[in-house]
Amino acid sequence: MIAEQTLLEELKQTETQARAFEKLVNTYKERLYWHIRRIVLNHDDADDVLQNTFIKVYRNIDNFKGDSKLYSWMYRIATNESLSFLKSKSKKMGVSSVALQETLINNLESDVYFEGDEIQLKLQKAIATLPEKQKLVFNMKYFQEMKYEEISEILETSVGALKASYHLASKKIETYIKEN
Amino acid sequence: MKKVHKNSGFKLPENYLENFNDSLLDKISLQEEIKLPNKEGFTVPKDYFKTLHKNISDKLEDTPTKVIPLKSYKKYYYSAIAAAAIVLLFVGINFNKTGDYSIEDIANADIDSYIEYTDLDFSSYEIAEVVPIDNLDITDILDAGINEENIIDYLEGDLDSFNELNLDSYGY
Repeated sequence: MIAEQTLLEELKQTETQARAFEKLVNTYKERLYWHIRRIVLNHDDADDVLQNTFIKVYRNIDNFKGDSKLYSWMYRIATNESLSFLKSKSKKMGVSSVALQETLINNLESDVYFEGDEIQLKLQKAIATLPEKQKLVFNMKYFQEMKYEEISEILETSVGALKASYHLASKKIETYIKEN
Repeated sequence: MKKVHKNSGFKLPENYLENFNDSLLDKISLQEEIKLPNKEGFTVPKDYFKTLHKNISDKLEDTPTKVIPLKSYKKYYYSAIAAAAIVLLFVGINFNKTGDYSIEDIANADIDSYIEYTDLDFSSYEIAEVVPIDNLDITDILDAGINEENIIDYLEGDLDSFNELNLDSYGY
């Protein structure tokens, strides 16, 4: 917490900004990358969104009020950037968000940066069928093993609602895997 | 033997134990029963994370900061919108406004008809109090003029009525 506060102060001062930003990127790059990658699925898209996320953080650090943790704030920006990216992508392609998800999943099979086996591919297909919120909660809980309290702060949803979402998502995935 | 209550000071999140079974079963069900993997199978290019900071820094230098023009037209747009809203509001208020009517705006025929068909319940004395007798002429009440001789004949035969007229107070 103290480290985060120090980092924040350094980020807001011109003379320490560059060094602090490097520290910020190195601390959070992997966690944010995997969070974004699970939403957009493709490496190149994840790279674009991650870079934009850090640029937004850098440009808006003065607007960060400190109501939440810096880490939660960055996760929130990354989530919003990823979802906006998918929306604009589906608009550019002239397809619905469901159709875009199907395309992204089908592209995984030929993606050089996807080395998943049959069950891993099936799992991605199952996740793709979930509503947006359940998808986010499932990824954050199952793969990232985040606490409900942390997810609650990022997604601004109550812990109870998150537990219900995760339970529903798990059941749907289980059913999908068994039926396919 | 006296029971000693030992409080360790540890606390559990609300409903943790109640929800523990569900959470555990969800996880077991996904990982054991259907053998769900812990990893997704995604990979990244070699040295991707090593070069990330440099890539972002380069992008930051290339991306110019959003320039806000000194002479912003935005405020003029807001002024124009505000002015248009005031005009519309004014027109809207007056468009459906019903005018203030005075007694002059009501046709005499309507007033006559109202008095005739409405039981006003005024006595002759109440009417006499509000009607200025000085400005009244007999022709205001009666259409046809009455011959003066006929009036005198009438009054002579009915002296009480003549006294009731109380003509002295009007200088007759």
